[in-house]
Amino acid sequence: MIDRLLIANRGEIAVRIARACRELGIEVVAVHSTSDRHSAVVAMADEAVHIGPPAPRRSYLHVPNIVEAALRAGADAVHPGYGFLSEDPDFAEICAAEGLTFVGPPPAVMQQMGNKATARRLMAEAGLPLLPGVVEPVRTAEEGRAIADEIGYPVIVKAAAGGGGRGMTVVRAPEDFDEAFATTRAVARAVFRDPTVYVERFLSGARHVEVQVLCDAHGNGVSLGERDCSLQRRHQKLLEEGPAGHLTPEQRTELGRLAVHGALSVGYTGAGTMEFLVDGSGAAYFMEMNARIQVEHPVTELLTGVDLVREQILVAAGRRLAFRQEDVVPRGAAIECRINAEDPTRGFAPAPGRLEVLQVPDGPWTRFDTGYRQGDTVSPDYDSLLGKLVVWAPDRDQAIRRMDRALAEMRVEGPGVHTTIALHRALLRDPDVVADRHDVQFLDRCLPAVLARAASLDDAAPGLPAARGGLQLVPTPTADPRPDRSTEGEIPCPPRPSLSTT
Amino acid sequence: MTASELSARSAGPDPDDTVRDLHDEVVALARDLPAGLRRLTVRDGDRAVEVEWATGPAETATVAVAPVAAVVAAPAAAVAPAEPEGTPVRSPLVGTFYSAPSPGADPFVRVGDEVEPGQTVGIVEAMKLMNPIVVDEAGVVADVLVGDAESVEYDQVLMLLRPAGGAR
Repeated sequence: MIDRLLIANRGEIAVRIARACRELGIEVVAVHSTSDRHSAVVAMADEAVHIGPPAPRRSYLHVPNIVEAALRAGADAVHPGYGFLSEDPDFAEICAAEGLTFVGPPPAVMQQMGNKATARRLMAEAGLPLLPGVVEPVRTAEEGRAIADEIGYPVIVKAAAGGGGRGMTVVRAPEDFDEAFATTRAVARAVFRDPTVYVERFLSGARHVEVQVLCDAHGNGVSLGERDCSLQRRHQKLLEEGPAGHLTPEQRTELGRLAVHGALSVGYTGAGTMEFLVDGSGAAYFMEMNARIQVEHPVTELLTGVDLVREQILVAAGRRLAFRQEDVVPRGAAIECRINAEDPTRGFAPAPGRLEVLQVPDGPWTRFDTGYRQGDTVSPDYDSLLGKLVVWAPDRDQAIRRMDRALAEMRVEGPGVHTTIALHRALLRDPDVVADRHDVQFLDRCLPAVLARAASLDDAAPGLPAARGGLQLVPTPTADPRPDRSTEGEIPCPPRPSLSTT
Repeated sequence: MTASELSARSAGPDPDDTVRDLHDEVVALARDLPAGLRRLTVRDGDRAVEVEWATGPAETATVAVAPVAAVVAAPAAAVAPAEPEGTPVRSPLVGTFYSAPSPGADPFVRVGDEVEPGQTVGIVEAMKLMNPIVVDEAGVVADVLVGDAESVEYDQVLMLLRPAGGAR
């Protein structure tokens, strides 16, 4: 069992992990850079170790300092969170060599899943559907053009080691292929130190659907339902929700089954996410696997009632999963909005600074995960995630209204500080988003309109207008307890009698 | 500000004895500072002396003494907290500090030893790599704050140096 765990991360995820540890009776060792010395997780921890200056390369990415901190503090386990060293197989291996339990998959599996080309080959072997394209790395532009001609344009050239939205280029016509191929390779070499790229069919009008899986070290795995993360800007997720209401229950069950099968086929352990692109017909194609806890994990936690970070730690400690697939019953709808310290009107430029006012929303089924407190300073050295606002409601429409109410309660003020709050309120008023018919390109295409709406409702914007008619009792649906999605744009039926606007 | 500028200014208007004493003490205080003088405020009305000097790349220490009853007490009180400060030698990484090159060997330095720029004063071991701790300025070891084989964090002060001569 784990008694003392070092959190090799910062910000909201460090606090999230510390809370899970507290509830498990595990002592917490925090590490921090110079600029995070007074952060929330440092205040919560049983022990905190200063591991370096603000620059991540010399602190949160500095393996020797973190491992030494773990040994010095007497930790027996390390949780890497997301980002930083969370998908670094060398770090996982060094932890193991030093006798530290790494909360994550085995290093070899992490290595395989970290390379998109390898991951795709393994998942193809496991029988998962892949987009038309090649699984193997493409070495020359000629080779790539031949593949593109075969699978048909548009295609996308992707860095095998890519991630975070970098290292991918869409090619719409053969004459653009050579240049796209060369630039993607150059970016891949510069950013990921690996020029390997592959080519696949580019789907337009697609949705990003990812399945949360949890596997123990005894060969058991479950799916915890899916999240739709189609609202992205340049492949950076802004708003995530679950379930993927545009899929039928049968399609969702099948996706979950495939995800667990794929994860178990490579010996995956812990919490992980299988990402799929889903086209208009509901056909899903495996994209990649994230071998870590994800930013948007609370969406799944609210839908299933499963504490993912807790389960992750228990599985890492060697425990068997305490529940089976049939015990996982996602209920209702959940939405997460990433509140970033960014200025959407200035190309989402980071807008860090001192948080003179940080007033966090509260109320029924409203959760705000953050590593900041009023008076703290959002450092320009790290990502701009200020916090994650997550709500749950019996159906998607109520969740949208609850989220808008919570966003309206939130106040963030400070010199130079801007946030994505108004942008989210504008998004939740967009007819395509409300009707759940947006795709992964929606934000890149419609951002100007969304920004204009955000500007018009800044600050003192009223809540969402009352829906048609007054309040009345809605009868219980007879068969399927899930919200009926067949009537596009209509307010879906709640799963049980409740007061609702009709 | 140099000590001579200081003497020219504060000795100026009212050269009575107490002011002269104060001025002498302040000059001595400025000379005794372990590092470069940053800011010095002398108020004569209520006898306040405020000194700020550089201690490290990003930090300043401030000693404020105000108000003081007797002129002679002022510099003594101001200088006292300065002495244990010195120039800190900090750990550049997280690891285990070793004061000697091998177990049982003589330590690299002892309190009172003079050190030269480039001299190794200890080792911090991290991931089985020995990282020599080298001083970049000359001085005398005023204090060693970490015991042999103790673990240290990033930026932790390992030892303090005071200037070799005394006068700067």
